Amino acid sequence: MNWLEFKNIFGDSELVGDKIVIKSNLNRTIEFIKKNYHFDFLKEILAVDKMDEGIELIYRLYSIDNEEEVLVSITVIDDAESVSNIFDSAVADEKEIYDLFGINFVGNKELKRLYMPESWEGHPLKKNYVEKDERLSWNE
Amino acid sequence: MNYLYFLYIEFLAKHNIPQMFGDITFYVIPCCIIFVAILIVILALVLFERKLLGWFTQRKGPNRVGLWGILQTVADALKLLCKENVTPNGADKFIFNLAPILIFVPVLILLGLIPYSSEFTFMNFQTNLLIYVILATMPVLSILLAGWASNNKYSLIGAIRNVAQILAYELPVAFTVLSIIVLASSINLTQITLAQSSQLGVLGWFCFPCVIGFIIMFICFLAETNRCPFDLPEAESELIAGYNTEYSGMRFAMFYLSEYAMLFANSLLFSVLFLGGYLSPLGKYLSPMLFTGSLGGIMIYFEQAFWLLLKSFVVIFIMIWVRATLPRMASFDLLKFSWTILLPISILNLFIMVILKYFMMGGVYA
Amino acid sequence: MSKLKINLGPQHPSTHGVLRLILELEGEKILSCEPDVGYLHRGMEKIAEKLSYIQYLPMVDRMDYLAGFFYSELLCRTVEKAHNVELSARVRAIRVMLLELNRIASHLLWIGAFLMDLGATSPFFYAFREREQILQYFEKISGQRMMNNYFVFGGVRRDVFDLEDVESILNLLPQKVKDYERIITENPIFLQRTKGKGVLTPQVAINNGITGVNLRASGVDLDLRLKDNLYCGFYVQPVVLNGKDAWSRYKARILEIIESVSIAKQALEYLKKDEDLEQNLINPLSLKLPKGEYYSEIEAPRGIASIYVNSDGGLSPYRLKWRTGSYYAVNLLRKLLVGTYLNDAIAIAGSLDIILPEVDK
Repeated sequence: MNWLEFKNIFGDSELVGDKIVIKSNLNRTIEFIKKNYHFDFLKEILAVDKMDEGIELIYRLYSIDNEEEVLVSITVIDDAESVSNIFDSAVADEKEIYDLFGINFVGNKELKRLYMPESWEGHPLKKNYVEKDERLSWNE
Repeated sequence: MNYLYFLYIEFLAKHNIPQMFGDITFYVIPCCIIFVAILIVILALVLFERKLLGWFTQRKGPNRVGLWGILQTVADALKLLCKENVTPNGADKFIFNLAPILIFVPVLILLGLIPYSSEFTFMNFQTNLLIYVILATMPVLSILLAGWASNNKYSLIGAIRNVAQILAYELPVAFTVLSIIVLASSINLTQITLAQSSQLGVLGWFCFPCVIGFIIMFICFLAETNRCPFDLPEAESELIAGYNTEYSGMRFAMFYLSEYAMLFANSLLFSVLFLGGYLSPLGKYLSPMLFTGSLGGIMIYFEQAFWLLLKSFVVIFIMIWVRATLPRMASFDLLKFSWTILLPISILNLFIMVILKYFMMGGVYA
Repeated sequence: MSKLKINLGPQHPSTHGVLRLILELEGEKILSCEPDVGYLHRGMEKIAEKLSYIQYLPMVDRMDYLAGFFYSELLCRTVEKAHNVELSARVRAIRVMLLELNRIASHLLWIGAFLMDLGATSPFFYAFREREQILQYFEKISGQRMMNNYFVFGGVRRDVFDLEDVESILNLLPQKVKDYERIITENPIFLQRTKGKGVLTPQVAINNGITGVNLRASGVDLDLRLKDNLYCGFYVQPVVLNGKDAWSRYKARILEIIESVSIAKQALEYLKKDEDLEQNLINPLSLKLPKGEYYSEIEAPRGIASIYVNSDGGLSPYRLKWRTGSYYAVNLLRKLLVGTYLNDAIAIAGSLDIILPEVDK
């Protein structure tokens, strides 16, 4: 993938190590990468809790024809744009991230909890989860 | 049969019991014999099937209860007896209790219609086969009653599917039975058996001229008794329960045992219609050679029953073999198979048998 | 016709695991399907943030109990990459042989379970007969039949022995697979229930993140073993079919068993040379990964499995995430089962080879 060409179009993106870090316009960026560079396979959507900065979402895109992989990263706080209209596998990934991290994906029509029961409060995989939860016996 | 009747009356007269008593009770004794016999046979059949399925998959079947697992079905029946009889809330109690009885009783009658030997038949009606075919459709009614009375929409759907399947497979049976009647020129099971005895020996059995009917009848019998590959109503318990979901305890045992009894009755009919009934495959009977004098005369009748049971057990073996091998057919394909393929072929079979009978076997009135 | 909402699961008479599908039916047709997972959620990712790497290693086998070696290999590979440790050829051969044996065992169980879903009860026992021999060999070398905990960072726990057992298994399998094919592959009832059912076009598959056998049976040639450093020096021929339906997925798995047998035989030939086992074992106590992010992937029986480790230089990872193949297959069921009949739903869901521990991490 041609980095310079990409940087010309999306000016506010940076190349940090292997990742392309963008700050906004997630949906447009991913769609552009898919259509122009043929990265048609979304391997996974990762979420890393970077406590004060927010939650970093990493999208791993793979091109089957060119056998190339690219990582796109964006740090969000509460809301994020959903890519479920571009990739269908994102529906499940975003449900999981909503369940475990609490990020609301705008545009995902089937957003509900995946692993935890519907009535659960709190988002388990966040770093500040265990200290706050009163249901755990050592927090009484 | 008359011989036995006179023996019985003489025996009672020796003990000064009036003849009317003998008249009334004479026909009760065969029924008792059938009842006991069927229980033993079902016992043996359930075990036979489980052992065979085990051997086909390189395991031993049940072998803990009793010597070689013989008492396994007794243990199962005892377990089912001890379970609680639950009637669902809102079910129609009378019909709910009636359905298992309705499914078990016709089978008992069916077993009495089959000719086990040339002299001693339990119920010697002239139109044996017709009564058999009519009674064999009684279970359809009771399945529907069971599904309806369970007050459970899934049971009802399962029962309706089951009924659709059985009805679809009744018609090829009817046409095949008609073709056998044409071949034998009689509707009496004893006459059909005798029509298969000829100088050709084994080749005179009806399975050779009527090969198509043989195969169709076999497939339809598998479908009638809900066996694999047609056991969709039983196995749909993943999603939609069968008609006997709400039954527990002894009522469930009635459904379960009646399936095996029906299997036995159907295989007996199959052997009578196609495999020569009680005729010996060797051409002549072994008893006169093995037993001397008048004992040989009586032992022939037992030998005939032995041959009939042997043939029916071979048929049951093949049915269990089919069950161990094939996957299940899906419901639409099942019905499509019956209506579009089996039915036309069975009608064709009927035509062929009529032509065969007319030209080869000397006309319609032979 | 009225609409009916029913549950498929979470208890099954077959071996899918605790998968619950909420189906909306109209008559016999499925209008919508919603999978409900989470019955087997064990918090594997959260636990990883509290345990050290060697404490976490035995848990990793249980990510997918039928293919435990693959996930174990993933974690070991990540640590080895972070510490720049190269595996010796003998260690690589041992790992490849055990991985391929595990793949065979997993596919054999799938055949048994799939056919039991369809109603044929015998192939289940025949498949288990072969699988039993493989598991007995695993028990010999590692002490356990499944969840072996045999791979460690830098190598394996002990050398393999009794290679005649492996040889007899590998010589036996092609003939047995031919026997299975004789009663299953051309069986008209089986064909009726699987041919043309659950058609998965390549575009839909790629859009849904499907990998592994499901993707290769739809015509897309994506097999990570060709680029894997572990398989360097082995000749791998991926199985790519063009049928796209449930029958093709069945046939692809049968052919993959044969392919795995040939790869394992290559590894076995190397191992027979009887050299000493030299490993550069990483000391697991107080093992720290340098700060950074690490990705590793492997071709597991059910798809591409991959791991992401974000280390901040401490004893346990800062974040560890698994990507598994069955997760996306369950997601695919939302679209694939719409418009099919109820009977076919079980066959289609079974043909995708879903196992729940992979989905609920």
